[in-house]
Amino acid sequence: MSQVYNLFVINKSGGLIYYKDFGSTAKLDTNNSLQLASVWHSLHAISMEFSPVPDCTGIEFLEADNFDLHCFQTLTGTKFFVVTETGAVGIDGLLRVVYELYADYVLKNPFYEVEMPIRCELFDYHLSNHIRGGKDRPTGGSFR
Amino acid sequence: MAPPARPGDAAYANIEKVNAELFTLTYGAVVRQLLTDLEDINEVNKQLDTMGYNIGIRLIDEFLAKANISRCTDFKETADVIAKVGLKMFLGVTGTVANWNQDNTECSLILDDNPLVDFVELPETCQGLLYCNILCGVIRGALEMVSMKTEARFVRDVLRGDEAYEIRLKLLEHLPEVLPYKDDD
Amino acid sequence: MLIGSGRSKQFLNVVDRPIGKGKNEVSLSAFAFLFSELVQYCQTRVDNVAELERKLESSGFGIGLRMLELLCHREKGNRRETRLLGILSFVHSTVWKALFGKVADSLEKSTEHEDEYMISEKELLVNRFISVPKDMGAFNCGAFVAGIVQGVLESAGFPARVTAHFVPVEGQPRPRTTLLIKFSEEVVERDRQLGG
Repeated sequence: MSQVYNLFVINKSGGLIYYKDFGSTAKLDTNNSLQLASVWHSLHAISMEFSPVPDCTGIEFLEADNFDLHCFQTLTGTKFFVVTETGAVGIDGLLRVVYELYADYVLKNPFYEVEMPIRCELFDYHLSNHIRGGKDRPTGGSFR
Repeated sequence: MAPPARPGDAAYANIEKVNAELFTLTYGAVVRQLLTDLEDINEVNKQLDTMGYNIGIRLIDEFLAKANISRCTDFKETADVIAKVGLKMFLGVTGTVANWNQDNTECSLILDDNPLVDFVELPETCQGLLYCNILCGVIRGALEMVSMKTEARFVRDVLRGDEAYEIRLKLLEHLPEVLPYKDDD
Repeated sequence: MLIGSGRSKQFLNVVDRPIGKGKNEVSLSAFAFLFSELVQYCQTRVDNVAELERKLESSGFGIGLRMLELLCHREKGNRRETRLLGILSFVHSTVWKALFGKVADSLEKSTEHEDEYMISEKELLVNRFISVPKDMGAFNCGAFVAGIVQGVLESAGFPARVTAHFVPVEGQPRPRTTLLIKFSEEVVERDRQLGG
């Protein structure tokens, strides 16, 4: 599986609700990550204005020298984006899996308040398993 | 164009399921709890709707993540998707959509089967209870998260002697997208 | 009163309808969202974690009563358990299968207390998607299931106090859940007299 450096989740108001890095050499500290997320949120919105055709859904892929950035925005306005190695493959699939993990281990958690920062152990657990282990989508209760 | 019934079946086939009795009995426990806590039937109805709303605003993301549905082009399509895919994916039942008004902003969602209510009978003291009102809240909450403000209410209820469960679903307005850099100062 | 599951519609009186085999299903997600909302609702009605536990237990209790009636009728031809091990086995296998689709992982008798038994599960279905915040200490949403078990036991004539606990397991990243069942004195005594 391609190297994923970090994952951001932004709520519909542009607030960073989750940030995790998976061993990138340049880890972001909290303030940095908050700021970056906020700027990305605005950039994403602006990008839709540039579109010459209607119904543009914003930046999905950004390519740079040392990394790629893949962004997925749900129809509910939440954004999941990852910074990966250049030429990373399978990231669309990865982002969809992250969305499912979010729907399961964040949204079904009665102790999670919507739009707030995500602090759900099971989400961390399954996310790490998936990204580090490169496994297929774990079906329920599979930390056996 | 309405999506075929297949996506609902496909989505339902792939998800993990539980015994409906656990679900039905848990819902019964919820209603019982509310009746004990709130006493007034109207308050219970309202609370069921609120609880449904709280569920709906979360459930929509699971639906979008797993049902493989693209953005609906109009409210007609939305209603069809709820009836054929949404209800199927979560409750294992399919609904029908009918009785559209002239400008296609209002319709009925009809369910023959409803796993919330197996073997429930409303006692004399609870005749005004909208037992399944949670469903109205779920639909309303879910649609609000995809920018549709709606109103949902039961107009027919088997527990009150009708032939089927009928929810009247009305589109009030499309909510505009909030752009982050356009501040009204 | 809810007594079971069935889809037949031609009976006018609800109690005349067949109760069905209990094989209908809904998505796990539907249950999980409903349960999550129940927990959230209960949180608004209590002041602390201990009270939340009690409230969830009492929600489950009513389900236990109904499950006993339903299962006795459907699975056991209305035969009644009179022995402790019999009712525990019933909970561990029949009740668990009906609710969760499998028998419980284990049933054990406490080595320290004569009146205590434990039913354990690697992961309770109700806890599947739930991460309890650290500031809630040892709280376990399995209190709901503890309530169900207590409901079954009490209405079967075996009054007991049932509570849910997380128990760390060596070599495993996540703790399992143990339901601690403490039978009342009269039950233990009665069972002893019956030849326990």
